[in-house]
Order: sequence, then structure tokens, then C-alpha cells
Amino acid sequence: MTDAAVDNEPAANVVVGRSLWGDAWARLKANRAAMFSLFYLGLMALVCIAGPWFVPHDYTTIYSDYVRTPPSTEAYPKADMVKGALDDVLKRMRVDLKDWKLEDGRATITVAGTRPIDERYLRYVDRSDTFDDARMEAKSPDGLEMTFSAAVKQQYFLFGTDNVGRDLLSRTLVAGRISLAIGLLAGVVAVTIGVVYGATAGFLGGKVDEVMMRIVDVLYSLPFIFFVIMLVVFFGRNFVLMFLAVGAVLWLDMARIVRGQALSIRRHEYVQAAEALGVRQSGILKRHVIPNLLGPVVIYMTLLVPHVIILESFLSFLGLGVQEPMTSWGVLISVGAHNIGSANWMLLFPAFFLVSTLFALNFVGDGLRDALDPKDR
Amino acid sequence: MTARETILDVRDLKVRFRTLDGDVEAVKGVNLHVGAGETVAVVGESGSGKSQTMMAAMNLLASNGEAAGAVDYRGRNLLGLSKAELNTIRGSRISMIFQEPMTSLDPLYTIGSQLIEPIRRHRGLSRSAAHEHALNLLRLVHIPEPERRMKSYPHELSGGQRQRIMIAMALANDPDILIADEPTTALDVTIQAQILSLLAELQSKLGMAIVFITHDLGIVRRFADRVYVMRRGEVVEEGEAEAVFTKPQHPYTRMLLAAEPTGHKAPPPANAPILLEGRNIDVTFSIGGGFLSGETLMLRAVDHISVRLKRNQTIGIVGESGSGKSTLGRALLRLLPSDGVIRFDDRDISHADVSAMRPLRRELQLVFQDPFGSLSPRMTVGQIVTEGLLVHEPALTAKQRDQRAVAALTEVGLDPNARNRYPHEFSGGQRQRIAIARAMILKPKVVVLDEPTSALDRSVQKQIVDLPRNLQADHGLSYLFISHDLAVVRAMADYIIVMKEGRIVEEGPTEAIFDAPRDAYTQTLMAAALDTARFRSDHGSLLPASRL
Amino acid sequence: MLLYVLRRLLTAIPTLFVIVTLAFFLIRVAPGGPFNQERGLSPEIKANLEAEYGLNDPLWLQYGHYLKNLSHGDFGPSYNLPDFTVGELFARGLPISIQLGASALVLALLLGCLLGTVAALNQNRWGDYAVIALATAGSTIPTFVIAPIIQLVFGLSWKLLPVGGWGGGAMLNKIGPVLTLALPQIAIVARLMRGSMIEALRSHHIRTARALGLSDWSVVVRHALRGAILPIVSFTGPAAAALLTGSIIVETIFAIPGVGRYFVDAALNRDYTLVMGTVVVIAIFTIVFNLIVDIMYAVVDPRVRYD
Repeated sequence: MTDAAVDNEPAANVVVGRSLWGDAWARLKANRAAMFSLFYLGLMALVCIAGPWFVPHDYTTIYSDYVRTPPSTEAYPKADMVKGALDDVLKRMRVDLKDWKLEDGRATITVAGTRPIDERYLRYVDRSDTFDDARMEAKSPDGLEMTFSAAVKQQYFLFGTDNVGRDLLSRTLVAGRISLAIGLLAGVVAVTIGVVYGATAGFLGGKVDEVMMRIVDVLYSLPFIFFVIMLVVFFGRNFVLMFLAVGAVLWLDMARIVRGQALSIRRHEYVQAAEALGVRQSGILKRHVIPNLLGPVVIYMTLLVPHVIILESFLSFLGLGVQEPMTSWGVLISVGAHNIGSANWMLLFPAFFLVSTLFALNFVGDGLRDALDPKDR
Repeated sequence: MTARETILDVRDLKVRFRTLDGDVEAVKGVNLHVGAGETVAVVGESGSGKSQTMMAAMNLLASNGEAAGAVDYRGRNLLGLSKAELNTIRGSRISMIFQEPMTSLDPLYTIGSQLIEPIRRHRGLSRSAAHEHALNLLRLVHIPEPERRMKSYPHELSGGQRQRIMIAMALANDPDILIADEPTTALDVTIQAQILSLLAELQSKLGMAIVFITHDLGIVRRFADRVYVMRRGEVVEEGEAEAVFTKPQHPYTRMLLAAEPTGHKAPPPANAPILLEGRNIDVTFSIGGGFLSGETLMLRAVDHISVRLKRNQTIGIVGESGSGKSTLGRALLRLLPSDGVIRFDDRDISHADVSAMRPLRRELQLVFQDPFGSLSPRMTVGQIVTEGLLVHEPALTAKQRDQRAVAALTEVGLDPNARNRYPHEFSGGQRQRIAIARAMILKPKVVVLDEPTSALDRSVQKQIVDLPRNLQADHGLSYLFISHDLAVVRAMADYIIVMKEGRIVEEGPTEAIFDAPRDAYTQTLMAAALDTARFRSDHGSLLPASRL
Repeated sequence: MLLYVLRRLLTAIPTLFVIVTLAFFLIRVAPGGPFNQERGLSPEIKANLEAEYGLNDPLWLQYGHYLKNLSHGDFGPSYNLPDFTVGELFARGLPISIQLGASALVLALLLGCLLGTVAALNQNRWGDYAVIALATAGSTIPTFVIAPIIQLVFGLSWKLLPVGGWGGGAMLNKIGPVLTLALPQIAIVARLMRGSMIEALRSHHIRTARALGLSDWSVVVRHALRGAILPIVSFTGPAAAALLTGSIIVETIFAIPGVGRYFVDAALNRDYTLVMGTVVVIAIFTIVFNLIVDIMYAVVDPRVRYD
């Protein structure tokens, strides 16, 4: 807007002005990558939180018949697997196979043994992961031969199973809950520490600021992870400690950003103008400082969360993070990494979930940064 | 005037920028020409396109800009040349210096190496020969101790010295044309005068043409042979300098010339009470120091100053940057800690703490220099203007506050609907009005105006000067008007205090100071700012140095 | 300049002291730690510890011993491998880790700067977009995902590289780990350099250089690049820290017998002295490295020397 000779604008028809937040929201909406990522994140959260209730498997159930089965959209057991499962069952029943056939999802099996076969042995059939609903059809008069039928249980393992025989889909989703929860919560911890520290340093200024920032500089250059691991080793794997440790590593960047903002806001003349009006410190904080601090804090929080998730995954990968029976994407990836070549799906599915979530968070963060602080790229 | 050969001919130049909000046409078909050895001024306000015209000629536009038309230098169209061909002309036949001396030199290389580089590039001299030439250049621009300075880094020099070095670099290869894009705008008035006289001296020695881009009509009058007046990307008037000044044709030119602040302020009656008084004020800052980083320097920003402001009086405090005038203003309002006695309305407030000062704040207001930074960006104009009411009249309802906002905005000449909009939707002049409204809504007694017009164009300045004057008459206010712009201060104030490096150099009634300054520094200041004598006589010879 | 170095040293030494002292006390305080008599100690360890640390002496005397031992590079015996001292284990693993880390650092800086400059010079064209995409991928995907994928693709599918192991320092064995270590840093440096270069190219003194008719080479390399490098120099410190962190993962996955791997094993097996020793060594190394980086920065930027 330029000043010409005539300064007064004609009465605008627009009575409500467009605030900087309004401008920012419009810019964000125009950024397709960011909006798509936002949508994707929402979807991911929904799937991880609600998904496990819709998957027929529990994430801890072990299917000993289905150890390291590859992912498939078709139902298990595949035709060639039934015989193997049958052999396992019969071995436990200590009987020999005479004949069997598969029809319409039910198997009819004839077995013979050296001793009379008790009907109760059919329990073994029910306990199997492959068969269900065992019914005795016929028994020879001497009890040495029996014919029974059982339904073949249809299971779907869309992501396959892991080393122990647990469904990977449900495990991945449940792991997602943990990873996202820790990401969010530890992120809040890091943000809180960072904001408080940075704001204090920035607003108090002077010697206090110098000392506080020197500390940050020193800490920044140390590979914090070693200290965190050291603490975990010495004091055991405590869930709360995990939070604090993860948050404690990552607050430094936030502190720096907030302190920089605080310093620049303090120097801005609108703060001095408010002081000249006699506004109290609380009023200045409420009306001038916090609204202008919010922008960068929000931006860096969205960029912080992926770091938190990575850090938690890092610790879990090494075996120093979440413990059984809980699981996180880091744990799954760790196990998957050990099984490449023979069971690639164990690595690829959780890795995909983790990496796509991280990408989405980064795009949202970048989008927010461009929207709230547009500088020529 | 002997006919000069035209060496630069700009024909129908258009410059366009591609931005996120669409295409912006900065220059819309400009024609101008420069003759050998003459001084041509291109005058305009911000947004007129004066800089972009010359940047286009030198192919220095930003990456999203494109130029069309012809810029003929001695018959060759600069716009059509390849990079390599253009580089034989830039820096050797046509040179350019810029507005920001503080950032225009490379901070990582010595002065010597930066001088030598263009010399060797264009003349192919050996190192030692180039070194010699560089030394001569430094002497030409009157840099003391040239040998030592060759090894200095830019951050060791002042703004004025850096600009001299820029000039030396630009003239290293004896160009035909020197383009100077607002070279003195960022410098203090006295330094400005030195740089301008240096340019005049160099022109008479070396005979190059100068294209002088500026918004300051005073400089144009003293310096240029011919003038082009630009507005919104077009040339609206051109002609010989004297002619344009004495008989302007275009209404815009007339308006620019008329925008010089006029009028004067009558002094208050002799028995007017003293409202605000400061006795022996000292303000000291500590610079540097801190944990382990060397000693702390104490800077005496305000040194033993006494001021007496009467009711209905306007005291103008003038000085250059670093004089301490802004610091004094804030110290008197108790926004900065200081030593000495401060009295307001017959009360001693020298040691009043924040809560004691709070009720007094409504009577002591401050308008800042920067209209862009002094309004909180995330509050509406209405909220900004009425914030003071939240503190001082908390009993008001929201509706009542809104009414007061309407009244305040109307009084400063803004549409009341503005109160629902945000600061970034307004221009600089409008924002300054908002800032004034914010101060006036509390009905203060004393207002400190800290360089209120410095960030504004000349044409807008006049309005921002008239406004406080009218308000003063209506409400019986007293002002402390702080500025480095002598023309503005002369129109606003009835009493002047001249400051330099924290001390009062001279003070007295306005006309006395302006007509007959006694102190040497005051005289220099007046001469630099207000002298209408030309830097060069009409015959091109240099005027005696004592005149300046 | 000398003053500058001295001042930097002055901040470094107290930090070191704090870390070392913390280490000393942590070891004694940790539940189930080697100095905690509740844990059943093997007689060898006990004897070793008593000899080294004089466990019945008053605390301050023990601290003195500890410092003295440290200054000789003696970190005590390994808790789980009592035949070896921590020092000996370091001597084996350190050269390997340093080789990998240094290679990765050099690769990251060179390639990152190159890519960043290319991106800046081709802003908003396909060269720029390609670099930005690469940089985003490199800095988002964690090392512990990249490593197994490299093993999968280059090791198992295409059979170009060995899947793991040090192979006595064979070149092929080094490619996988160095690449994995370097990738995230290449991404960050490229991004940093791009931004820095873009800003430098827009700066006023570059405008001056162009106005003086200097060649593109001179403008870009002599002037813009030199200024743009400054943030990269500063970043070398945190980059080294990130590489140390990364080495933990890389050495574990690629089965490299370096310090990172020892550290992980020690952590999982509660080998307190080894864990402690590693942390102290890492801290010392980082602080010294950052000191060097600070000095390098002062060499490149004359404005800082007079601070």
C-alpha cells in the first residue's frame, strides 16, 4: 500500500479485517502437500487407535502354526499348509494318519493308533491354530481307529506374522499407538521445557541470558544420546524416565528459537509502546508477547514431534526403550532388521508406517512455517 | 550550456516483477538520456521506480524481474548483451554505488583486496601496480592513512568511510557514468554533505557523468544539471534543474516542492507553568562485557542535560545519530533508568517505580519513529488504540471503549471502520496516525514525538506534521519533538536544543538558532541541511571548500 | 586471536570437569552398580576394583585416584570382560570408529555443500527440486531404517556389498556403513548450504561485486561461497555429535567392532565401567572437536576475532 498525496482511503466495505492468522490459514489451505499430510496424519492416528479393535487378532496372541508367514490377502491356511498342521496335531495325539480329505472348509480325518483313542484327545485339534470345532464322526469298535472332522479356521494375516507367530498388522497398529503417544507426550515435555527456558532467558536478558545460552551451546554440542543411554542403563527402564529422557534431549532447539523470539519481541517497539501506556507485565504478556510467540512455537512443535518419535524408536531399536508386552515401531523395525532376507515384511511394514508418518509431520511443519512466516523460498 | 554528447539513452524501459500476488509493473515506459560529464538527477518517492530503472540498466534486477525496451550506452543496447559483454562495461565504463554502505562491502575480505579485484579484472595490472593504483584511489577519496586501511576489514570503518571506499571502487577504472542510488540517505546530515562535496570534486577532476537517484529535493537542487521526476513508474516531468524548481509544470512536482514543512510555532506566554523538567540528567549504558568476554564499556548516552518544558510549548531536540536525543526523551518519560532530577507537574518523579508511574502514564505519552514496528501486529487497530483505556479507565464497558476509539480515529483523520482491521493492512502514514490516536485517546498533557516522520515520504510527512500541530492547538498540549530533520523541526518547534554525543551544544528560541547559530557544530549542521547554495557553480568549477 | 582461543578453552575445561565428576558419582550411586556391595561381585572384579579405586579410602581420596587414573587414560577394568581394561577395548574400537566417522563427515560436508550450491544456483528449477526432495528424504528417514534397507538392496538383492562385518577394513565393507552414516548429514548440510547460498547471493555485497563487473566465478566462488560456508562450519560441531550418535546404530546393524557397538553391548549387559568410560571419552572428544571448530570459524570470519 503506498501513500500518495491523498491519504484517506474511501470507507471500506470490508468491516472485518483479515488478521495474520487468517492470512496464514489461507496460505496453509493452499499448500496441497501440507493439507494432504494433515489428512494423512489424522487417518494414521485413527487407524492406530481404533484399528486394533477391528482386526480379529490380538497383538499378543501367538499362532504357533503361523510362525513367519508372509503377508497375504488370501486366507490362511493355504492348501499346502493344512497337511503340515495336521501332522503336528496328530503327533501330539500320538496317532497315525490313515486318510483325510478336505471339503468345503471341513476336513475329515481318519486316524489309527496302537492304543484306544480317547475322544478327549480331540482337544488337541481344537487347540490347534488351524482347526476348530472338532467332532467325532465314527469310531471303530475296538477304539483303535477314529474318524473325526474339524473346521479349517480361516485366518487373514494381511501383514504376515512375526518370528513368534503374532499377527503383524495388529502389532503394527498397537505399536503406532505407543509411538504416536510417546511422540506427542514427550514432545509436550520438550516444548514445555524449551519454552520456559527460552522465554526466561530471552525476557530476563543480560547476564542470566548469557549464562543460560552458554549452557545450551555446550549441551548442543554433546551427543546427548550417550548420556540418555547411560541413565537408562544405570536406573533401569522406567516409562516415566523414557519420557523425561526423550524430552530432555530435544528441548534445546526449542529453547533457542523461543529465546530468539523473546529477544526480538522485547525489542519491538510495540512492547515499549505498551510499557509507555502503563500496561502491566501481565497485560503485555497476554496481548503482545504470547500471540507473537505462538507462531514459532507451533511450527517447531510440529517439527519436534518427528524427532521425538525417531528418538524413542532409536532407544527401542537398541532394546532400551519400551518393554514387552508393549511394542513400538522402533522395536518392530529392530526385529525386522534382523530378519531381512528371510522375512522382509517384518521390516517393511512398520518401516513404512514410521517413515510415512515422519514425512507427513515434516510436510505439515514446513507448511506451517511457510504459512506463518512466508519468506521467499 | 555547450551541447553534450548523449552517452546513455534509455528508451521506453519497462520493468516487471513476478510475485506471488501477480505481476507488478515497477517501471512503465521510461525515457531518459544522460550526456557526457553532466549530472542528472532522478527524483521520486518510494515506489516510484527510480532505483529499478537504473538497476535494470545494469542488469542487477532481482531474479523475478524482467526488463524490456532499450538502454543504449554509446550505441550498444545493454539489455541485449551477454553476461560476459556486460561485465566488460559494468565496473569499468558504467559504475554504480548504493544506499547501504554498511552492508555493501564484503565483510570477509580486506579493503585492499576488494579494491584491487576490479582493478585487476578490468585493467589486467600486476598485483603491485594494482596496489599502487588502489592507494591512489584511497587518497583521492580522502581516506586518512591509506596504507594501513588497505589491510583493514570493513567492520572497522564507519558508514561514511565505507561509502568513500565504495566510491573509490566504482571510480577505479575511470568510468564514463557513475550511477549513485541514494548514496547518502543512510548517513548523517554532516557526513552527507561531505560525501556530496566529494562527488562534486571527483566529477570536476575525472569528468564522468553522474546519475543521482534520490528522494531529497534539497540535494537535487544543489547538485544536478537536469532533473527527471518519477512517480509510480513513469516520468512525469523533466528539465533543467533550476527550471523545474522555479516553474514546476506537473501537479505532482508542485506537490513535492510544496511538501516542505512550513509554518512556525509561536512561543508560549512567559508565565506558562513548567510541566516537565529534567535537571542534570545522565544516562549510561554498558556495552559488551559479560561472562568472560573482555571489559565492559560504559557509554554515556546523555551527559548532564537540563530541559524545561512549559505548557503549550514545543521543544525541538535536534542532533545526528548517536547524539542521545531519543535516549533523553525516553529518560524524561522514565522509560529508561537515569541519574538526575525529573519533575512532572511539580512532583519529583526521579525515583518513582513502575506502579507509582502508572497513573502518570496517561499524561506522558510517546509516539515512536517506526510506524511498522510500534503497532502490535496481531491486534486490531481498535484494540491497539484502546489498550491504554484498559489500564487507565477500567470502568468503561466494551461499547464505551469502542465509541472512544471511533472518536480518536476520526480526530486523526482516519475512517472509524479502520478499527476492525489490522496494522499490516495500512500504509506507513496511516499507521503513524493510528499511533498518534493511541497517544491522544488518553488526553495527555505532554507528548514526546520521537522522529515521527523519519520513516515516511516527504509528501506524507507534511500531514504528519500538520496533525500534531492542530491537536496541540485544540487540546493545549506540550511537545518534545525529537528529529534530525531540521526543516521539520523549524516548522514545529518554538525552542530548539542541539545535541551532540550526549551533550547540549546550543539551545535557544527557534529563529535565533536558525538565523544566527553561534556554535561551530550548529553552523555545520545548518549549512549541511539547509544551505541552498550549489555544490558546483554553473560553470562546472568547484566552489571553495570553506563554503562547506 | 589468542585471547579468543583462551576464552574458549576456559569454557571447555569446567564442562569437562562437570562431566567427569558426574561420572564418578553416578557409578557409585547407581542401584546395582559395580560399587554397590549388594550386587554379587565376582572375586576378580572385586579385587581389581579395590586395587584401582581403594574402596575403603575416604571419598575425596577415591576421587583423586579416579582423576589420576583418567589422566593416564585408565578407565578401570571392564565389568563384564574382566580380562580387559576399558582402555584396551577402546584401543581396538576407536580407530575403526574414527575411520568411519571421519569418512562420513568429509563425505557429508563435500557432497552436501556441492548439492546445496547446485540447488541455490538453480533455484526453483528441477535441479533445486531434486536436491530438496533428496534432502527431505535423507533427513526424515532414520538411520535404523536406512541401514537395513541398504543391506537388503545392496547386500542381499544386488549382491554388490557384503551385508555386514568389518572384513579387516576392506573397502567394500566400509561403503555401507559410511553411506548410512553420511546420508542424513548430507541432507542437512545440503539444505543448510542451499539456504545460506541463496541468502548470500541476494546480499548487498554480492550486488556490489556484480555491479563492478566481476565474473560469475568470482562472484559465486570468491564472494558468495565464502560467506555461505560460515553456517556450515558452525554446523560441523553438531554434525560430529550426530555422527557419533549414528555410529551406535550403524555399527550394531553392520556388525562393525567399533566403539559404538561396544557401547551398545555394554549398555545391554550392564557393563557400567565400559559405559562410563565411553561417555567420558565421547565428552572429551566432542569438547575438543568443538573447540577446533570454533577456532576454524574465527579463521574464516574476521569479525569474530575482535569479539
